[in-house]
Amino acid sequence: MHTISRLSVALVLLIALAAPIRVRSAGPLAGDFQIRSAFVVVDHGVLQLSAHIDYPVNDRIRSALRDGVTLAFDLEVNISRHRRLWLDATVLETTLRRELTYHAVTDRYVLRDEAGVEQENFPTLEAALEKLGRIEDLPILVQSQLRGDAPWEVAVRAGVRRGHMPDALRALVFWTDDWHRTTGWYTWMLTL
Amino acid sequence: MDVDAIKHLAVRVLTVAAFAAGIAALLLLAVSVENSAQFSRWQPWILLVNILGAIALMVLLARKFWQLYRDYRDHVPGSRLAMRTVLMFGALVIAPLVIVYLFSLDFINRGIDSWFRVEIKQGLNDAVVLSRSALDLRLREQARRTDIFARSLRELQGTALLQRLDEERRATEAKEIIVYDAYGRAAAVSSATPLAQQPAPSPPEVALQLAAGRSYVSLNSLPNGQYSIETAAPIADAVSARSGRRYVLIHYEVPQELSALAEGVQHTSSQYGDLSAVREPLKISFRLTLTLVVLLTLLAAIYGAIYSAQRLTRPVQDLIAGTRAVGKGDLGTRLPLSSRDEMGLLVHSFNDMTKRLRRASEEAKRSRQAVERERERLAIILSRLSTGVIVTDRELTVHSANQSAGTILGTSFANAAGQHLTQLPPGTARLATFISELRARLTAGWDEWREQLTLPGEAGERVLLWACTRLPDEREQGGVVIVFDDITALLSAQRDAAWGEVARRLAHEIKNPLTPIQLSAERLRRKLLGGMNAEDAQLLERATHTIVQQVDAMKQMVNAFSEYARAPDMKLQHFNLNQLVSEVAELYLLQDPSAEIRLDLDPALPEIEADRGRVRQILANLITNGIEALAGVKGGCVEISTLQQRAEGAATAVICVRDNGPGFRKEILGRLFDPYVSGKPRGTGLGLAIVKRIVEEHGGRVEAENRPEGGARILVFLPVSDQDRTLLAGGERRMEMRRERA
Repeated sequence: MHTISRLSVALVLLIALAAPIRVRSAGPLAGDFQIRSAFVVVDHGVLQLSAHIDYPVNDRIRSALRDGVTLAFDLEVNISRHRRLWLDATVLETTLRRELTYHAVTDRYVLRDEAGVEQENFPTLEAALEKLGRIEDLPILVQSQLRGDAPWEVAVRAGVRRGHMPDALRALVFWTDDWHRTTGWYTWMLTL
Repeated sequence: MDVDAIKHLAVRVLTVAAFAAGIAALLLLAVSVENSAQFSRWQPWILLVNILGAIALMVLLARKFWQLYRDYRDHVPGSRLAMRTVLMFGALVIAPLVIVYLFSLDFINRGIDSWFRVEIKQGLNDAVVLSRSALDLRLREQARRTDIFARSLRELQGTALLQRLDEERRATEAKEIIVYDAYGRAAAVSSATPLAQQPAPSPPEVALQLAAGRSYVSLNSLPNGQYSIETAAPIADAVSARSGRRYVLIHYEVPQELSALAEGVQHTSSQYGDLSAVREPLKISFRLTLTLVVLLTLLAAIYGAIYSAQRLTRPVQDLIAGTRAVGKGDLGTRLPLSSRDEMGLLVHSFNDMTKRLRRASEEAKRSRQAVERERERLAIILSRLSTGVIVTDRELTVHSANQSAGTILGTSFANAAGQHLTQLPPGTARLATFISELRARLTAGWDEWREQLTLPGEAGERVLLWACTRLPDEREQGGVVIVFDDITALLSAQRDAAWGEVARRLAHEIKNPLTPIQLSAERLRRKLLGGMNAEDAQLLERATHTIVQQVDAMKQMVNAFSEYARAPDMKLQHFNLNQLVSEVAELYLLQDPSAEIRLDLDPALPEIEADRGRVRQILANLITNGIEALAGVKGGCVEISTLQQRAEGAATAVICVRDNGPGFRKEILGRLFDPYVSGKPRGTGLGLAIVKRIVEEHGGRVEAENRPEGGARILVFLPVSDQDRTLLAGGERRMEMRRERA
């Protein structure tokens, strides 16, 4: 009885876990993907983030973009304050999202913000990714919003995923969505 | 809490968890479908809940299957029925599910493939090419115009340049015209919109293209869905090494209609691209989702099938178990009444049946107990009966017999049930005769008889009154019951009584006239003898002498009869029997020194309490008989021995008188102690009869038999004391009762 139960549980867990692991092991986003550097400076009472990120570049990405796939590039920024004997207090939790797509009519790679207000055209994928990987003086917080005592921990993480897709469809392809990859958290202590 | 209770609780928790997981998954689905963003966020939880539900169901199913297998392996009543029902239900559930599953898989594959047909993709590509071609025409036209316009700007500077730029901008409906110097700085600007700030620097690729001698033309999309064209051309100024060559950059706006069409094509193409990219993942996801749903449904259905089968078969299992219990004799079995349907009616009938069976069983048990009690009572009665009772079949195989039967026939019926009569120990002549007589009658077809049977024996013949009757039997192979009684003593007593009466009459009727006859004969002789002549006198003398002599003989005989018939008048006293035996033997030796009398007396024999004179008479009669029996026997010898025995709890003194003469004749052996039975030619036949009478008056008994080595032997058993006499008399009374019943 116990043996059979254990086998059943193991089987189900294996089925549940094996498929996503299998399809994600060698995805189209393979390649160098990391945060090279990141720092925050205060300019006139505004915290500005600068970061240098290496995004993966390969033919699968290029081909997918040319086939019409939209890729979303997220930069998650968290600022938290350590508390003793309790969970850390979150001061800031924001995400900078930009989308990269290939414009077939103009033969340009188009980079736009999430709202679609700002848009840039690039003749090459490399130029577009270079632009994406250079974050300069991005205002993220007003200094007065930093509650509590220093130090604060700043954590930055970059992620890439498939962009334009209905949520229902995204839910359906959850099992096999290998167009989703994130870097590890890049953290440092902020003292002003 | 014991282990079973914990298991039970775990199963309940798992069941509740499985159903709660299912309901939670449904609720999450229902809520999140309305909001796709929520669905995306909750989807991992929905998946987790489903997996948990599947795990719980699998654990429950594994447990159920294990229970079913264990019951099937252990041959638990109803397990086969449950297994068949589960298989049937399972097949009914699995078959349609599998069909639907396979159909759905095929439908998903075909459906998704149909969304991305080649024609659509080709059409979109063609539309993109067409749009690009349309825009390319405009691009080339604008590039050509820019080249011409750039040549017209040669050497223009300042206000003239600005006027020329404005003219051109208005003429071509350009959005903006900027002239850059060789360093990429805006030298002159003409814009359709007021300038809010300094114009943006020239894109680096413009200068690079122009430096390479190629014209620059670029088509860009704008956030509002519009398209803009950028064209640049070098101004053919006189080149100075210091200032370098200027160039003009013109921003055109593509007409709105054309932009909208091109943007529509681009948007559709982009959407199609996004969708085509998820074609295979979508298939896999649909398959996995469908598989999970089908798996959950299948597990739930199988679990439901097992549950239903167990519910259906439980009353049947109860009935089987109850029937087995009843079969093993447990009539107190009651089944729980689980429902009011036909199964409930069956269970009710079963309970009613067991109730009636129990009543009947109790009634039968009471009857058996009554019969058993009756049998025990009968067995006690039979064992106490002095009458022998034997029940056999027609083949003479013993069914039952009482103790008296063994006593009478000189054998033992202990453990004789099932044995043949001939196998009984020891095989005496009495038993053999009994069996042969019985067999002869049964063989002759006699079913019932009542008659006397004389059996031979070493101590004389035994007379039985036996009766036989057939036992009723439906199979007509029933046995017979033989009832018999030893009436030897009874017959002997009857004879004794008769002879006693004869003796009294003889003593009374014959003795009285003998004396007058004798006196008359003597007077005749005395009166007539003197007056007769010698011859007559001699005749008278002989006649009267004969009369007197015969009268004396008759007197002796009458006295003997009188002695036999005399009422007991014993004078009991304690005396030494050995001494008495010695005295009597001595007297005989004195009278006849040639006689051989040997004594073997037990020195441990105690004094006995008896009538000394009568015991002397016994000894005298026995010794006389012995000596007379040895007449003419060479080396004849009479041996007298005494010893002590215990019989029926009483101490007895035994006098054994044996000789080595011819022994008793067989024809009189059974009647030796009857009056007037004698083996001697001139015996009165009253000696042994008187011995027997005296012995019986003392409460003892006497036996006579022939010795195997030749000669006769008479054994006299006398109680040692009055107390022993009483004990023996008890046994004697029982014998009397037997006689009376007989």
